[in-house]
Amino acid sequence: MLSFLAGRLTMGFLTIFVTTILVTLLIHLVPGDPVQIMYAQSQGTTPEQMEEVRKSLGLDKSIPVQYAMFIGRLLEGDLGNTIRGGQPVLDVILQRLPNTLVLAVAAMAIAILIGVPIGFFAAYKQGTIWDVTLMITAIAGISMPHFWLGLILLFYFAVDLGWLPVSGGGPLNLVLPALTLGLSNAAIFARLTRSSMIDVLSQDFVQTAIAKGLPKKLVLRRHVLRAGLIPIITMMGLQFAFMMGGAIVVENIFSWNGVGRMAVEAIFQRDYPIIQGFILTFAVVVVFVSIMLDAVYAFIDPRIRRSQT
Amino acid sequence: MQKFLGKHAICAGILALSLGGSVAGAGAKDIVWARYGDIDSLDPHRATSTLSLQVWSLMYDTLLAVDADGHPVPHVAKSWTSNDTGTEYTFSLNEGVTCHDGTPLDANDVKYTIDTAFDSEKPSLTKGSWGPISSAEVIDPLTVKLTLETPFVALIPFLADSFSSIICDSNEDAAGFGTDTAIGSGPWKLVSWTKGDKIVFEKNPEYKNFGKLAENPGAPYMDGLIITTVPEPQARFAALKTGEVHIAEPPFDDVAAIRESGDLQIMVAENTGQNVFWEFAVHRPPFNDKRARLAVAHATDAAAAINLIYGDLSIPENCPVSRGVFGNDQDFCAEYRPAYDPEKSKELLAELGYSESNPLETALLVWTGGNRQKLGEVFQAQLAEVGIKASIEIMDIGSLNARVRQENENTEGTTGSMDMMTWSWYDPDILYALWHTPGAYRGYTSPELDAILDETRVLTDPEARKAKVQEAFKYLLSNAIHVPLYTPGWEWVFAVRPEVKNFHVAPFVYPIFSDIKIED
Repeated sequence: MLSFLAGRLTMGFLTIFVTTILVTLLIHLVPGDPVQIMYAQSQGTTPEQMEEVRKSLGLDKSIPVQYAMFIGRLLEGDLGNTIRGGQPVLDVILQRLPNTLVLAVAAMAIAILIGVPIGFFAAYKQGTIWDVTLMITAIAGISMPHFWLGLILLFYFAVDLGWLPVSGGGPLNLVLPALTLGLSNAAIFARLTRSSMIDVLSQDFVQTAIAKGLPKKLVLRRHVLRAGLIPIITMMGLQFAFMMGGAIVVENIFSWNGVGRMAVEAIFQRDYPIIQGFILTFAVVVVFVSIMLDAVYAFIDPRIRRSQT
Repeated sequence: MQKFLGKHAICAGILALSLGGSVAGAGAKDIVWARYGDIDSLDPHRATSTLSLQVWSLMYDTLLAVDADGHPVPHVAKSWTSNDTGTEYTFSLNEGVTCHDGTPLDANDVKYTIDTAFDSEKPSLTKGSWGPISSAEVIDPLTVKLTLETPFVALIPFLADSFSSIICDSNEDAAGFGTDTAIGSGPWKLVSWTKGDKIVFEKNPEYKNFGKLAENPGAPYMDGLIITTVPEPQARFAALKTGEVHIAEPPFDDVAAIRESGDLQIMVAENTGQNVFWEFAVHRPPFNDKRARLAVAHATDAAAAINLIYGDLSIPENCPVSRGVFGNDQDFCAEYRPAYDPEKSKELLAELGYSESNPLETALLVWTGGNRQKLGEVFQAQLAEVGIKASIEIMDIGSLNARVRQENENTEGTTGSMDMMTWSWYDPDILYALWHTPGAYRGYTSPELDAILDETRVLTDPEARKAKVQEAFKYLLSNAIHVPLYTPGWEWVFAVRPEVKNFHVAPFVYPIFSDIKIED
């Protein structure tokens, strides 16, 4: 188990290492002079000031030197300062990251709590009208854009019913964005759970257990559910990354002050230090969540940790 | 039954939370203003956006203020004198102005602000808005003398804008000035700023209003002001409907329905100084030829286009600086601005050798948002009517500014580039920034225009200056360098809840909250 985790950690560090290289190169991928683009809205900026910024970002150095400087700063916990406002990027990100994580975790919980039971039930009722109806609903859910679903929920629950607030950062404000993000992901979980469970239901060990006369509920709970959950846990890691991405749209609709919205603003304002910090943070979070889920995955299914050793 | 109970327990939980929590998240006597974006900094030297300026105007004071027509009037400075050459200005300050930390605001604070703006170690982003000041000298606590490198008559209107906000010198010792703290002397005192989310203010009970455009001579009537960020227009509209927010920019497409329903008041800012205009990449064909620029100007029916997209929310503008700014005179400018005349446009195009099979082709760059993309499409159709093939490219303002400069620096090729540029300033000196060599975008410049613009900076007699400013207008209009289209153009429409009384907007889009009373 330990060597399995060590392997995963090594892969994680490698991923983050590659990301740091991409993040350094990012600023050079934009055509034209990045500093000129950054300061395009500030006509009062003198060429000397722009040269200062170029120096402070290390843009006057070669790319390998820039990379070494970036890593050096990174190890000191310094992601630079924002172009607009001059605040430390790390502070700006850390202020908002918890909001996005809370949103993604809440949405994940909704997706699992709704998606897994529906998928399980559809598999159990495979081929019936229940199955067909639930799966059509799931496809509709997957196809529904976050933007559209978010506005519908907002106008219904906040404006028409007046149950929930429209925007802001309190606990109640979490309900609608989490529902928006969670519902479409619930549909994905429902479809995955269904196909995984159908697969397990047709396995010999399940048929044997039923033939032995074990109660059906016990077979479903002890044998089918546990075996069928493995691909779903794998999926959770991927979905978490998608949810962090999906949060960009949802955060904007519900004015949820997370890193997704911050990234969108930074892209529009060409605030490169924030964009770089966001990509790096995003990579770290996704890698960390993947490692955590791999550990859970190995714990549930001993075959996995054995195959890695 | 178990399932039924479970489901309903969740619903009841949500409902209980809803009823238990405060929906608006604001105190009973707080004003809530929602905007699409946040400020960049609380420090007036570290940002340039309108969103930041509007907030500084609430928390800081300025030496001068403007009246409803946009003319400078005394405020913290009760009077001023200048020497004959216009290189020295002495301001006499009002007594009794206090900073939010209780210290008096005096000449030392003015000097501190100016010294900070011109600090060579950390130069201000808004240094240009102070003019060519070379030194600030404290004569006595209530008298300050500013010395200029060269005469600069626009100093007075410059000092009335929030770019020239006075920062109390006690900020020097405050940790986190600009990000966590900011000590001003304005009607609203900072409580907290959560970047990207909201700025919370409480009223400054000591506030004295000498010249700002509010009827209220003292502290604001309401206890607090919360400026919250709601980027999505439909969400802002929803928050206005529920009462969570009192004032916000509505979605343009819903303005007619809002007016019809009467649920919210629609307020349109006047004398914003905002000018939306055509400008061209003049260092390559086709727009290096005046006739091509005139062909575009004559093909453009701005009045019809803005009526179609904005209704009566915006109006056509004839001058290169908009209403409310010194020198603006609609009748004067109408004489020189190329009028809508598609036949004339076709003649000019034919003269240049363009035809149906060989149309004039150009990129048409438009700043995203505010329904400007739709307006761009209307202009595109108008240009197509005379045979100009314009391809629209929509981009954010930062990219637009950078792209316009790139297009001006590109002298190769025959496909033109023109853009619907947007600028706001409180003095015609903006024309100096835009069109005096080398030019903000490296666009059109000429020795003749430079000479005219140089003079607009030094003529101390208002009438003489006005004549010179209008000479610049005439040059820009008749050569189709700066073709005005309409005003205002961005962040100028406010939807206001009916219980909010006495909300108004000062020139240059500075909302005033000191007079507001919210009825129960």
